[in-house]
This record gives sequence, structure tokens and C-alpha cells, in this order.
Amino acid sequence: MDGACLELIHRVPGANPQLDALEERALIRQAQRGDRGAFEQLVRKYEGSVLRLALQVVRSEEEAKDLYQESFLKIYRALGRFRFESRFSTWVYRVVMNVCLDHLRRAGTRREVQAPAPAAGSDPEPVEFFQTVAEERPELDPERALQGKEVGRRIRAALARLSPRERLVFELKHYQGMKLRAIGEYCGTSEQTVKNCLFRATQKLRAELKEIV
Amino acid sequence: MNCQVVQENLTFYLYDELGAEERAAVEAHLGACTTCARAAAELRRLRALLDQRALPEPSPELLVRCRQALEEALDREAASWRALVRSWFVVPPGVSALRVTTALTILLLGFSLGWTLRPRAGSPATPAGRAESAPWVGADLANLRISGISQVAPDPQTGAVRITMDAERQVTLEGSLDDPRIREVMLYAANRYNNPGIRRDTLEVLRDQGDNPTVREALLYALRYDANAGVRLEAVEAVQGIAWDPDVREALLGALRTDDNPGVRAAVVNVLIEHADDEMLPVLEELASTDRSPYVRMKCARAARERAQN
Ligand SMILES: [Zn+2]
Repeated sequence: MDGACLELIHRVPGANPQLDALEERALIRQAQRGDRGAFEQLVRKYEGSVLRLALQVVRSEEEAKDLYQESFLKIYRALGRFRFESRFSTWVYRVVMNVCLDHLRRAGTRREVQAPAPAAGSDPEPVEFFQTVAEERPELDPERALQGKEVGRRIRAALARLSPRERLVFELKHYQGMKLRAIGEYCGTSEQTVKNCLFRATQKLRAELKEIV
Repeated sequence: MNCQVVQENLTFYLYDELGAEERAAVEAHLGACTTCARAAAELRRLRALLDQRALPEPSPELLVRCRQALEEALDREAASWRALVRSWFVVPPGVSALRVTTALTILLLGFSLGWTLRPRAGSPATPAGRAESAPWVGADLANLRISGISQVAPDPQTGAVRITMDAERQVTLEGSLDDPRIREVMLYAANRYNNPGIRRDTLEVLRDQGDNPTVREALLYALRYDANAGVRLEAVEAVQGIAWDPDVREALLGALRTDDNPGVRAAVVNVLIEHADDEMLPVLEELASTDRSPYVRMKCARAARERAQN
């Protein structure tokens, strides 16, 4: 499970070199005593994967920033209660997962209020949903680029239709390559629940995307 | 494995979440069953399609913005009630929560009465009939969402101060002003808390503590910056009780020049009269003709006259 996290960290531009366990333990203790510098070093270790996940589940950089801030603020507030009974990384991601799930739930409610489910046959994409999300890399071939954009749009729309938990599990499994057991630990649920989520998510995506698969 | 079991497991097979045995069974079946092989191929295509989604990379600019936002949030956090209460009840590393609880002797007084937290060691008498107290550890308290302070009251008999706060339940902190932690909460209340009535009550309690440098700073801060005129007025009164020095003088003169409330300016003149010096004379004379309030002009004129006569 740590393998997955570390791999993520390596992909983050400018991220801190990973801390070894002892060093991290010392930093946690310092941070628990109120040392902001120590806390910030811990943030540096995890911020890359947190931000990457945030960007995957929100609509805009601005929202990703909010998730980042909310996650680390929660971690900061709860840090005093971390008793080294679990891995720190697990504990951190558990907080982050909850923040992401809350966000997805809120976003889901908002979307229902703003845009009722479209009638069959109409464009299935909630219009405002991805407008502000960072655009795909520009392609040289304009036709391919157009196609790629369309595909990307369809994929994001399909992902947006998953339940918050299915969405998060799918993001972590498919796009971040985490093991289901680790995802279960992070989400505070059993591996079986996560398995069911992944199964349902895949089924739904297959149904949503069957025309272009 | 039959077709149904295989198809149920295809997702996990493709995501490499099967044990070696199951994996081998699925592979064997796929080699022999075209229906399931087709289903597997479709799932593979779905996976490949989903891989086409471009994942937004966090840009360095975004990372910087995030760090800045977090830093600001942490600054606010450090100045919040939560942080104060936490610093009070923080469980020092290596000390069990139980020991801290004993030291603080946290006592449950009942639902409506809220909590009385006595920071002093020793066990205050438990009122009869309310003894069903489960001690509350500091860690829990630090988690309270404190929404407001409802009362700051000195106890004239014991000299203790009682601070009542609205949280998920009402919380009361009680302790002597000698206790630096009580003082910290008080200073916070005096300068930052957004209910002016509470700020004023707090200043009133702090008045007798003017010898303490931090309290003194809090008083001058309130005099200079508090948004509520009543609080500034209270600060002017409180400043009367503290040792006169250039800082106090500057704060008062500043208030006289810039405070937009005539009542506060008039009160400032009252204090200045007692400490008027020659350097102050021009300021008083100037304000005797320029202050917007006739009453303040009159007071300044009288103060200047008295000073000139001495
Ligand atoms: Zn089959």
C-alpha cells in the first residue's frame, strides 16, 4: 500500500524527498507540540498526492485548493490525537478521503439541484460540470485533438454519475493504481465493500460508455 | 469456475486483485470460453478508453497557491478559540490523558449548567445529586466547536474568573487571573472576540491586572483598534489604572486625534489632564479648535488652560 503512495509522491513536481519513518515520527512529535515548521514538512510529503487526487474529483483548481486546505487543516487539528497506532500515511489519507467524499456528496446534491437528470437521448453531460477543469494537453492533429476532447468529456461525465464512494474507489484504483485493501483502509471500510464499489463502478461506466468502447 | 463466477471476477482479474489460484482459474476459463473471453476483451477496451482521460497535473503555481492558503488558514487557526482551548488542555507527550484529567479535575455539573473546569489541582466538592460525572479528557474538549463566549464574570469572593463559552455544550473555564492560561483566554477575549459586550466585560476583569505587560498591551490594543466604541471607552478607563509611560501616552494621544467617537475622545481628555505635559499642550490647543465635537473642543480647551496655568 505504501508502494502506491510513494509512487505518487515521486510523480509530484517539486515534492519533498521522502522522509524515512524515523524522521517522520520525529516530525509528527514536533508538530504535535505545536511546531509549525515540522507540520509543514509533513505537509510537503503528502501534498502532492493529496492535490492530485483533489484535482481528479473536483471541477476546478480553486476547488482543489479548497480540498487541499480543508484536508490539511483537519489533519492539523486532529494531529494531537494521533497515537502512532496506525501508519501516519493511512491516517492522513483517511482524513483526505473523508474530505473528498464529503465534497463529492455536496457536489452531487448541488448538481441535482442545478441540473435535473437529462431526458433520455439528450446530451448526457451536466453542462457546467467540467468547464473549468484543466484542459487536456493540446494535440498536434486537430481532428484527433477534437476526438480526444470528446472522449475525455464523455469519460468525465460518466465518472460524475458514479456515487461518491464508487467514484473515489474508482479514481484510486484505476487512476492511482492503489490496492483495494489500501483503499479500504483509507476509506475506513472493508476490502469487500471496496470490491463491491469497484465492481458497480465498472458496470456503470461500461453502460455509460458502451457506444464508444 | 463457471461463466457467471468468471464474469463477476473479470474486473478484479484485470485490476490484478485476485489471488494466484483464482487468477489461474479465470485464465484457464478464458482460454476455453469465447463468451467470457469476449467480455474480458470488452472490459480491457473500457480500461484503455478510460486511460485516455487526461489527468490534470498539479501545476507549481497551484501548489504555491495551496500552500499559501493553508498557511493563512493555520495563522487564523493559531489565533482561534480552538487553539487557545487546545493549548490549555493539550496533553503533553508522555503524559497520560488520565493524569491531566486528574490535575484539571474536570467536573460535570449537569446538562444545562454546562461544565466547570477547574485548572487548579485538588478536588472541589461535587454538588450532591449531580455526581454522575464522567470526567472529560482534554483531547475531547479541544475538539469542541466553540461558537461563542456567553459570559465573562469575576467571582468577587474567590477572585476567580469564570468564562462561559457556547460550544456543542456550554463550557465554563474557571480560574485565577494569576493562571497564565486564564489570562491567555481573557486576552483573547479582550482583543479578538467578536462580541463587543464580552470584550468589554473581559477588559473590566483585566483592569486590575494592568501591571502585567501582556494585559497592558491588550488594553492599549483595544484602545487603539477595537471596532466597538463601548469597548474602547472601557479600555480608556482601564488605562487610567496602569502605570503611565510613553506607550500609554502615545496610545491616548492617538485616540484623541483619530477616534471617531466623541465619547471616547472626551474620556481620553479626562485621562490626559492628569498627566498633561508641555509637549501635549499644542495638541490640546489645536484640538480645542479643530475637534468635530463641541464638547470635546470644550474639554480640550479646558485641559489646555489648566496645563498652561500649572
Ligand atoms: Zn465463460
